[in-house]
Amino acid sequence: MLLGGHLTSISSLLERTNPTGVILRSYRRYLSMTTALILGVSTVGCGGGDSTDSNSAATTVGGAATTAAKTAELAAATLNGSGATFPKAFYEEAVAAFKAKNKAVTINYGGGGSGKGRTDLASQVVDWAGSDAIVKEADKTSYKGGAFLYFPTVVAPINVVFNAPGVDKLNLSPTLIAKIFQVEITKWNDPAILAENAGAKLPDSPIVVAHRSDGSGTTENFTKFLDSAVGSKGDGTWKLKSGSTVEWASSTQAAEGNGGLSKFVKDTVGSISYVDFSDAKVAGLKAASIKNQAGKYIAPSLEGASAAADGAEIAADLTYFAGWAKGDAAYPIAAQTWILVYKSQTDKAKGKAIKGFLEYMYGDGQKLAKEIDFAPLSPSLLAKAQAQLAMIEIPA
Amino acid sequence: MTSTMTTGNSTIDLGATGGWRSIKSRLMIGLLGTAFVIVMIPLVLVLATVIMRGGKVMSWSFLTSDIAASERRTSGGIGPAIVGTLLTTGIATAIAAPLGVLGAIYLAEYAGTSLLGRVVRFMSSVMTGVPSIVMGLFVYLLFTLRFKQNAFGGALALACLMLPIIIRSTEEMLRLVPTTLREASYGLGTSKARTIISIVLPAALPGVVSGVLLAVARAAGETAPLLFTIGAAKGLNLQPFSGANTALSAQIFGNASSPVEAAQARGWGAALTLVALAFSFTIFARLVSARFSSQR
Amino acid sequence: MAHPVLDLTGRRNRGEAAFGGLARFAGILVLIVLSLIALVMTTRAWPALTSGNFFTTKRWSVPDEVFGSLAFVFGTIVSATVAICLAVPISIGIALFVTQVSPGWLKKPIVYSVDLLATVPSVVFGFWGISVLAPKIMGFYESVHDLTSGIPGLRSLFGQPNGRSMFTAGIILAIMITPIVSSLSREVISTCPQGDREGALALGATRWEMIRAVVIPHSSGGLVGAVMLGLGRAMGETIAATLVIGSSAQITANLFGAGNSMPAVIASEWGEALGQHRSALTALAVTLFALTIIVNVLATSIVSRSRRRAQGTI
Repeated sequence: MLLGGHLTSISSLLERTNPTGVILRSYRRYLSMTTALILGVSTVGCGGGDSTDSNSAATTVGGAATTAAKTAELAAATLNGSGATFPKAFYEEAVAAFKAKNKAVTINYGGGGSGKGRTDLASQVVDWAGSDAIVKEADKTSYKGGAFLYFPTVVAPINVVFNAPGVDKLNLSPTLIAKIFQVEITKWNDPAILAENAGAKLPDSPIVVAHRSDGSGTTENFTKFLDSAVGSKGDGTWKLKSGSTVEWASSTQAAEGNGGLSKFVKDTVGSISYVDFSDAKVAGLKAASIKNQAGKYIAPSLEGASAAADGAEIAADLTYFAGWAKGDAAYPIAAQTWILVYKSQTDKAKGKAIKGFLEYMYGDGQKLAKEIDFAPLSPSLLAKAQAQLAMIEIPA
Repeated sequence: MTSTMTTGNSTIDLGATGGWRSIKSRLMIGLLGTAFVIVMIPLVLVLATVIMRGGKVMSWSFLTSDIAASERRTSGGIGPAIVGTLLTTGIATAIAAPLGVLGAIYLAEYAGTSLLGRVVRFMSSVMTGVPSIVMGLFVYLLFTLRFKQNAFGGALALACLMLPIIIRSTEEMLRLVPTTLREASYGLGTSKARTIISIVLPAALPGVVSGVLLAVARAAGETAPLLFTIGAAKGLNLQPFSGANTALSAQIFGNASSPVEAAQARGWGAALTLVALAFSFTIFARLVSARFSSQR
Repeated sequence: MAHPVLDLTGRRNRGEAAFGGLARFAGILVLIVLSLIALVMTTRAWPALTSGNFFTTKRWSVPDEVFGSLAFVFGTIVSATVAICLAVPISIGIALFVTQVSPGWLKKPIVYSVDLLATVPSVVFGFWGISVLAPKIMGFYESVHDLTSGIPGLRSLFGQPNGRSMFTAGIILAIMITPIVSSLSREVISTCPQGDREGALALGATRWEMIRAVVIPHSSGGLVGAVMLGLGRAMGETIAATLVIGSSAQITANLFGAGNSMPAVIASEWGEALGQHRSALTALAVTLFALTIIVNVLATSIVSRSRRRAQGTI
């Protein structure tokens, strides 16, 4: 004991006074491991053959070695992030839980929409970005920090929410959704809607279509679903293609963020829009059941989103699209989201903090997701994501 | 013969029956009075909403807690926002007040009727009308892109907003100082600069301070200049040059679009705090200027 | 008015010159900042301004990179006009009441109360607008819509009601510009010579007739200036408009329809804009800047002209 303490104090003294900290840091680690080894060996030797004793000694050695590496809490760093409002409620809780374990690290997430996140990361105004949609090839050159990595985090349904008095349930097919959002169907009691909702009492009032005013990954996933189902590859009903903003009809209204859009639908009688499952639930909005590829009307749920994401094809850079998935139980408007970070980090403390936060995301964070109404990643995708963590280059 | 009164382009028939004319006069005067009542309705409604909804959530812990980690949480307060507002407004005042007072001194004491003086005076008036979002974009393009989001960027944008207001109000106050005071000082052999600093400025000081306080009250309530320059911090940040920050106005704006009841309530609490802050500055400014006019 | 410097010592004081120079620099700072704003913003906006269709189309499409300002200019002008129509009668009414009619003890409380309106920050008005006014005013809009549905011209003006619309934005803007227009009108009206007013009363005019025949013609120029200053302020207001105007890039005759204004769309889309999109938003800011400067310059010169005329120096 005395010997170990003596050795560590000598090493820390050396580290403080000698400028070549690199050599001495590894020296110190060598010293602490040697100390642990000496202690372990001496305890085992002294303690005799008691199995529980030697077990506890062994775990003490292992424990000492690993805690020597783990109890080093992350060094002080501030990480600023912005982007998707789709997973915002989850990210904020994850940040708070992470901060409880790593008090010196402050993480801010400003939201603002996937478009803002990508723009901010490109101009290096933030250290990490949340985005529900991938970056266009042409835009990649504007990313000042070089190459970046996609880290998938959660999956969730996009609800088609509505506020029509007297209507609790609604069945919608992709064709119907396309026509409503292109303002080709303008009243709630239109025969086309009644055809899919036999016996429903729909009001004779105009439909107010609302969409996102900011560049949104939710918009991109929603329109990509429409484009895949009934767009150019389908029967051609959906003409607006897909993107983080599309050219909505000028008579439609807009609001900012998933939160702003859910408030709009909550406040405006006769409105219809698209928001993430979690925000819709918190705002108490009714959601439509959507007809999937198998022909079944599926209500939005985490299980439906997981079923959709499980079958998706995952690219090498971990990008994929969970919408318009095959399968009886798949919810057709499931959406995926990523955290984007630069591959080569320039600041050691920040790099370690980002890596630590992502490690948390793939550990306890996946359990936390369910509590906030987001579905965790499938085990195979989770394994791939954890493996990608090693690709982050942190300066020594 | 009908008697009429003609002034300018209008002719009034004074011979007409007095009864109807005086009823009409009473009616129109009454209408003018209702204008005041009409304008008070929104004021009362807004203040009532702010006080009632803000009061529900108001407490010492609300004023000192960090921003809620997620808008859905029922806990959380506006501590960092109050500090952020005071920080940005304080730095903005420290930049704009001296420059504004000096500029006003130039206009009132040195410029006279020179061309430069008239141009500067005119442009200050024009600058008071520039939309605040333009100031925010300007500082974003010149400062934030290079130095990231922090409280100082927001303070710069607010300073641009305050500068013309302070120049104009201070110039008015300096002009109100009687010429005899200046001439007496010159008569004693004091130089111009010394006269301004030791005689004119102290005489005008209450009015100048009052003008600055009104500009501060205006700047504290501004949102647009801060939107892109200070970011969105959740914890306390006393560093003006590093790290994102937040402000009461930004918190109100953010919570306004939220469907969550708890977030809306926090927004009203922040609104109550901001209104109380702006009111205290304004009332203080009035008291100071009242003392000024009573001195004269 | 500058005073001749009577420096009896005859020495040139270096501190003197330094102070004077410092003061002049501070004065010129305003010119520097204004020119810098104009320069920086116009250079960034140049690609969009010269793209050919910025001022001619109402189409605003981010994916196709077509940026036309017409819809936003329309929304700005309509909401500001509604604000002026609502605020001007009320502000001038208050100004006339305070200067001509009210008993002395009532003047200060009224003036202070109206100025109280100016102290409330614009974001609080916007918050009240989106939370309280927009939902609650639907009933009023629907009654107006039903009332005018028979009259051809008014029918399209008061079409399908929306809580968040250009009219609602106009109401909020009207509340915000009333203190400014009112206080400026008061200043202008109070320059009316006592003699003229008393003369009219002596000839037997009633109070209202005196106001109509003497005060209003005398102050009309200044009042126009005050109204224009209010217009400038209404056009530039960002936050309150963003929250209640409906964020819809459409040109419609329906006052109850959703719209968008230049400062509101800048506030909504700036955060995520890059390249041509950012240039287009900066071009909107330049257009807004130019518009408000023109309105303010006109208004200031009209007001100061009427002031000088009243003082007899013109």
